Amino acid sequence: MNEQPVIRTRGLTRYFGNKPAVYDLNLEVPRGSVFAFLGRNGSGKTTTIRMLLGLLQPTRGGGTILGYDIRFLPPEARARIGYLTEEHQLYGWMSVGECGEFQSRFYPRWNEKIFRGVIGHFNLKPSARVKDLSRGERAGLCLGLTLAPEPELLILDDPALGLDPVAHRSLIESMIYLTRRSDRTIFFSSHQLADVERVADYIAVLDRSVLRVCCSLETFRNSVRQMRLRFPGAPPPVPQISGLLQAFRAEGELRLTCIHYNGATEQALRALSPSQMEMVPLSLEDAFISYLGERGEKSFILAETEAQP
Amino acid sequence: MKALIQKELRENLKLAMLGLIVFSAILALNIHTYSHWMKSVAAGGQGQREVEMMQPLISGGFWKLSGILCAIFGFILGWFQIHNERQRDLWAFLMHRPATRTQVFFGKILAGLMLNILVTGLPLTGYLIWALAPGHIAAPFEWAMLRPVAVFSISGIVYYFAGMLTGLRQARWYASRALGLGTAVIVSMVIMVVPHFWQALAVILLSVGILATAVWGGFHSNGYYRGQPVPGKPALIAALMPGCALVFGIATIFLIEVLLETHESASSYYRMNKDGTIYKITPRKEGWDPEIADLEGKPLVDPKTGSAPKWAEFDQHKCYEDRIWPSFNNRANAYRDTWFNNSCNRITFWRETADEFWFYCNRIGRLAGYDKKTRQFIGSLGPDGFSKDLTGNGDHFDRAGYYEPLQGVVLRGACTIYQPFPEHREVKALFTVTNENCEAVMLATNSSDRIIGAVNEIWLNGYDWNYTIVVTRCYVHLLAPDGKELWRAEPAYPEYNHVAVACLESNNQFALWTSPSRQAQNKSGGKLPEHVTWLDRDGRVLKSIDLPDLSYHPLKFDRERKLRGLAMPPALFVIFPLFEGTPWPSAIPWMWLKFSLVTALICIPIGWWLGCRYNLSLPARLGWAAFHLGFGIPGLLTFLSVQEWPAREACPNCKKLRTVDREKCEHCGADFAPTERNGTEVFEPLATVK
Repeated sequence: MNEQPVIRTRGLTRYFGNKPAVYDLNLEVPRGSVFAFLGRNGSGKTTTIRMLLGLLQPTRGGGTILGYDIRFLPPEARARIGYLTEEHQLYGWMSVGECGEFQSRFYPRWNEKIFRGVIGHFNLKPSARVKDLSRGERAGLCLGLTLAPEPELLILDDPALGLDPVAHRSLIESMIYLTRRSDRTIFFSSHQLADVERVADYIAVLDRSVLRVCCSLETFRNSVRQMRLRFPGAPPPVPQISGLLQAFRAEGELRLTCIHYNGATEQALRALSPSQMEMVPLSLEDAFISYLGERGEKSFILAETEAQP
Repeated sequence: MKALIQKELRENLKLAMLGLIVFSAILALNIHTYSHWMKSVAAGGQGQREVEMMQPLISGGFWKLSGILCAIFGFILGWFQIHNERQRDLWAFLMHRPATRTQVFFGKILAGLMLNILVTGLPLTGYLIWALAPGHIAAPFEWAMLRPVAVFSISGIVYYFAGMLTGLRQARWYASRALGLGTAVIVSMVIMVVPHFWQALAVILLSVGILATAVWGGFHSNGYYRGQPVPGKPALIAALMPGCALVFGIATIFLIEVLLETHESASSYYRMNKDGTIYKITPRKEGWDPEIADLEGKPLVDPKTGSAPKWAEFDQHKCYEDRIWPSFNNRANAYRDTWFNNSCNRITFWRETADEFWFYCNRIGRLAGYDKKTRQFIGSLGPDGFSKDLTGNGDHFDRAGYYEPLQGVVLRGACTIYQPFPEHREVKALFTVTNENCEAVMLATNSSDRIIGAVNEIWLNGYDWNYTIVVTRCYVHLLAPDGKELWRAEPAYPEYNHVAVACLESNNQFALWTSPSRQAQNKSGGKLPEHVTWLDRDGRVLKSIDLPDLSYHPLKFDRERKLRGLAMPPALFVIFPLFEGTPWPSAIPWMWLKFSLVTALICIPIGWWLGCRYNLSLPARLGWAAFHLGFGIPGLLTFLSVQEWPAREACPNCKKLRTVDREKCEHCGADFAPTERNGTEVFEPLATVK
């Protein structure tokens, strides 16, 4: 198998006006992986995807996708990349069948069975008009159109955005069971961390336009730790700790979320002389929210909150 | 590409059908209006008789309407084809397919052009089939009459691409997206004023080429200037520059006309009353009576009231005056008109009889008759009489080849004035120029130049034909209706080429005015006077005076002209004389050019400074400098609207501001600093998943 990453960017940057939407992105997506691209709204995920597909010019920097320069993707490269847009927009006047026919005429490797399978999974009739479909049904149709050409690389931009739980589950099932193939790479952005947890091998996190995390799911989960420290009275002030993400102060309790928890961190915490110190298990969602949430200290001690202006 | 074309056709079919219905309905209404009018005319109805009503193909209403409809539909279709898919995800869906951008572009425009042809071509073809079928239009037809409507229909394609460009362009300044529309409007204006038909087609072809290349470039860069292929950038600049010039021109005119309130003062002129007295009239501002003075400059005073007479009262004493600009040159040189006017002025309505319309066919030089009821061709009249066909074996009157006002009584031949009688299918010779009354006849007979320079009928009360003026190479003749020469007078050709005959009804006399030509007057610096000669009915000269030529105004470069000059692109002054056919470079208005160059020279450093500020390459800056020299302020506006201005931020190395779209600092060559770490990063080498 080719060991070259399917997506590689070097200093990829895009400004809108004076504001950087994506800044100095250096990313490598390994072949055959399911790669989740995470971040808060407006962090630059869609901009990155649009730059990767040559739909938006980078302000500077560049990259390759399947070995092709992202600024000049030839048709043969596009034939190998399936792209599912976040809004699932299609031509409203077309029927489901016509959408398939239109798409199939561009792809020599079009697999009608896959298309029928996906739209069947979503209970879509070929004669139904796109404009009459629900958002979930449209997402299913888009997925069918994206998967039927049997792309080598799938780029899914928040595929579950706006879907109800049932449609969401259908889409994820399709993604897992129909797309997973040893030689296929899936690069998807999402806010559904449960999905990420189920399917992703690797994650990358954009925080305010800057890539801060690029690792396996496990590494990230292990890097973010939450410690609960109990005190007989009001907890002491939070000391300067390297990698501290969040601190919650409550009556008799101090809860600290840190990244890169190590011996030095533990030593610093023990120096506070807590009556009890324990590690709280974190889900990916908890870790992610702690990582991208508001940094700093929050107090839930009544006297302290009242004293605040 | 077939799939794309089919998709585009289906997607825009509703819009096309709407356009087709509107266009067809308007043309059907035009047919109905004409048929209704002809029926009322055949039934003896009175009213206006204009050649435009009689031959709708050359009517301004017809080609204007066709042109406007084609332009509107073209623009909307072009804009719609892009706008439909301009939502971010749909555009991505379209563009992310195994097809080149060029294929997508051609898929769109081929479908667009097909729909354009369907919407504009189909109804127009139907209309033409109706118009060309005998018995529908009671007026002569020539293929050249179709040129205006053909050109304006084709120019819809320019609007189509302008619409596409407007929909496609990603511009910081939103209004600048529609600048392509300004270019299309300029093309519509230019095609009307160029001398030759091929030039109009060339202008359309060139503008379509430029706009299409700009759109094609936009497809490659998703509407941005940056990232366009090499031909796309100059095409986009060329496509937007005329629009900028138009916007800036309108703004300048508004400034000059409204804010500066500079109005060109009307010049004085002479006025002759029925008793032969000449007055000098000086117009005053609107709402005020003009100033009336005698030739010595004394204001006219009404002896009864002791004050200036009321203009309405004074105007009643104005004599009948006929002005003529005789032309003795051959047809090709005599009159240079635009292809557009030449196409519209192929025929002139000459006279109406009880049952027939008679038209003068300018190119053929014969009268063509049509029956009002059947609307069928009757036959034609030439100097030798009636013929059942239009050409009459080549027998013809003088072939003007351009529009001449005719009043339906006399026509001129090479040396003879004829009076046709269409009711009797006869033509009578009224007056012939001979060696006896013009010694130049022998010299000119063998040349293609004319002997009779002009002929005009004088109808004093509007109903009775009183006299005919014939201007030959030697004399101005005044003829009675029976052809008898009343008098002849000798003008001072060639300097004096403007002739006017005044009928002084109060004392049964005439006055002959001869004025110098513009060229002769310019050469003399305005020193040539106007000659006025009073004659009696027998041609005896009663009096003769010379008057200063009031119509001569040397070109003054006032504040308004200077401002206009400052606003005009210098290239326009260099290119424009080419359209007029005047020899280059003598035709260049150097004074205008001088003023225009001043602003161009100011624009160059501004453009250069902006180019340096945003780190444009040296060739790009030089190219823009040359562009600013050629196009001045409109060029600078184009520069501002075309370029995308990247953000600038301080270089951590040299602390100077640098543009963010370069890999290295333009001042010190340093790389951009890597993202500052905040200690929360989690990175690890990722392995290929097997």
